[in-house]
Amino acid sequence: MKKRALILGPVAASIKATPIPKVSTGICGLDEILEGGLPNGRTTLAGGGPGSGKTVLGLEFLYRGARAGQPGLFVSLEERAAAVRQNALALGWDLAALEKAGKLVLLDPRLPAEAVVSGDFSLKGFLAILHGQVRALRARRIVIDAVDVLTRVFDDPKRERNEIYALHEWLDEHQLTAILTVKLGEETEPSLRHGFLDFMADCVLRLDQRVTGQVTTRRLRVIKYRGSGFGRNEYPYLIGPGGTSFVPISKVELAHQPLGGRFSSGQSRLDELLGGGFLRAACILVAGTSGTGKTTLAASFARAACARGEKVLYLSFEESESALVGCMLSPGLDLRPALRARKLQIQSVLPEAVGAEEHLLRACQTIAEFAPDHLVLDAISACRRMGSEQTAFDYLTRLVNMCKQRGITCLLVNQTAGLQEQQEITGIGFSSLVDAVLLLRFEEQERTMHRALLVMKARGSNHSHQYHRFRITGHGIEILENGDAGLPERRLA
Amino acid sequence: MKPKTKGAKAAAPAKKAARHRLRLFVAGNEPNSELARRNLAQLITGVLKDNCELEIVDVLQDFKTALALNVLVTPALVVDSAGTRVTIFGTLTDTHKVLAALRLPSAVA
Repeated sequence: MKKRALILGPVAASIKATPIPKVSTGICGLDEILEGGLPNGRTTLAGGGPGSGKTVLGLEFLYRGARAGQPGLFVSLEERAAAVRQNALALGWDLAALEKAGKLVLLDPRLPAEAVVSGDFSLKGFLAILHGQVRALRARRIVIDAVDVLTRVFDDPKRERNEIYALHEWLDEHQLTAILTVKLGEETEPSLRHGFLDFMADCVLRLDQRVTGQVTTRRLRVIKYRGSGFGRNEYPYLIGPGGTSFVPISKVELAHQPLGGRFSSGQSRLDELLGGGFLRAACILVAGTSGTGKTTLAASFARAACARGEKVLYLSFEESESALVGCMLSPGLDLRPALRARKLQIQSVLPEAVGAEEHLLRACQTIAEFAPDHLVLDAISACRRMGSEQTAFDYLTRLVNMCKQRGITCLLVNQTAGLQEQQEITGIGFSSLVDAVLLLRFEEQERTMHRALLVMKARGSNHSHQYHRFRITGHGIEILENGDAGLPERRLA
Repeated sequence: MKPKTKGAKAAAPAKKAARHRLRLFVAGNEPNSELARRNLAQLITGVLKDNCELEIVDVLQDFKTALALNVLVTPALVVDSAGTRVTIFGTLTDTHKVLAALRLPSAVA
């Protein structure tokens, strides 16, 4: 019998919860979900269907461990070691180098397909092989991919269970931090399907891959974790160059930075209407129908920030970088110097090209690398095309929350569709996150359309409550004094 | 007749070129391995008439051979004869199956 359950000391005078020892996975975002990592010296089960990323997860656990000085053994019962090495290279991991350095061993034993069975047998041979390798390598981590292959030879649920139990005992005895992967699906062995493995393991992860609105996402859920808390939601993750990345989890507690000092919108008259400019770390929404000048206002904002030496990340879901830069030349907003000075970075992606999680991860990675002061998102209305309304909401709240935590100002552009503008202004239902709202619209007067701007909301500011006419000139946006209307709309310089 | 194979290897007398090369993988002296040893010894003296070369590999002492031959279960018998290899899992209790795998008529059983 093992002795590792919670042992309450004889002197339980001051009962203090001691967290169980954990091993960092080194996988981006996973430790947060697992509240520190996998249970040290215990067995974790990673189950999932085909293509859910079980092998990559296991391999990355060993790769990160090996690089951090914890040798690991990867037992591949399905893929050849050479194929594993090659797949790892595609993710940018050089396993061969770690093998040479004695930090990693890849084993690919095969069970003969056409073996004759005569009488009883057990997995002792397998355990002896593991034992020899673990000792030679001084391994601390082990991954068996996939454990269901081992039980295939037994053809008897009871014996399968006994053998898996023996394997678990062995892993426990050697205090190895283990990940056993298991294929889940229609053809899973009955004994594994009925949750036996789930009961045995100390930590159970479920990975899956599903398609919603023609976009594929992968998700992970922690089913159980003995002796530890864990994030209980489903967490989207991506497998890309560098490995697996989990989307930062939506935390319960809000850790937003307070709104900071004022800075110019790039237009002095607009600053006046705002009560002195925008506030740092604010979330600003610019809403209006098509053609009202939202992108021009955003570009003006970005150019002014870059001119002050601040960095702006411009996420464009509507136009390519060259189209955006070209279009903004007409109102005299040359973004090229800012791009050259690497103060401005334009990331242009089609919303439907990848899933919302990938959009979010890309944005996260860029924010981490580029460390912008401001973020422009043009336009949130296009985010619906990432999937559904809910997807867009998740994407935007996570992105805005992340920016608020880092003190990054967000300027979100939202294209509203004409009549419904009052209801639609704040976009996909996250108005509580929005600190300032600018509404742009057309007004008709004497058979002429005029552009008008209203500061609908500006938290912490004594702002104007009037519509102000403005025009787009050859040198940017020009806000007119109320009363001096009727001039020709566009004067190209 | 039971060759006492303590440890790794022990070869049965091979007069000329043996027809079968047998390698029995055991895990120490656990019951199944002991049973396999006994059953194989009977087969060798009976049906095979010593016309074979036997090697007993204890995986607890030599895991590398087991790994090289993909022997993940014990007991297991790897038979090489005339360029073909057959692996038999288990205690070799079912003599008919073993003989069929060795392509021998199941005269005695």
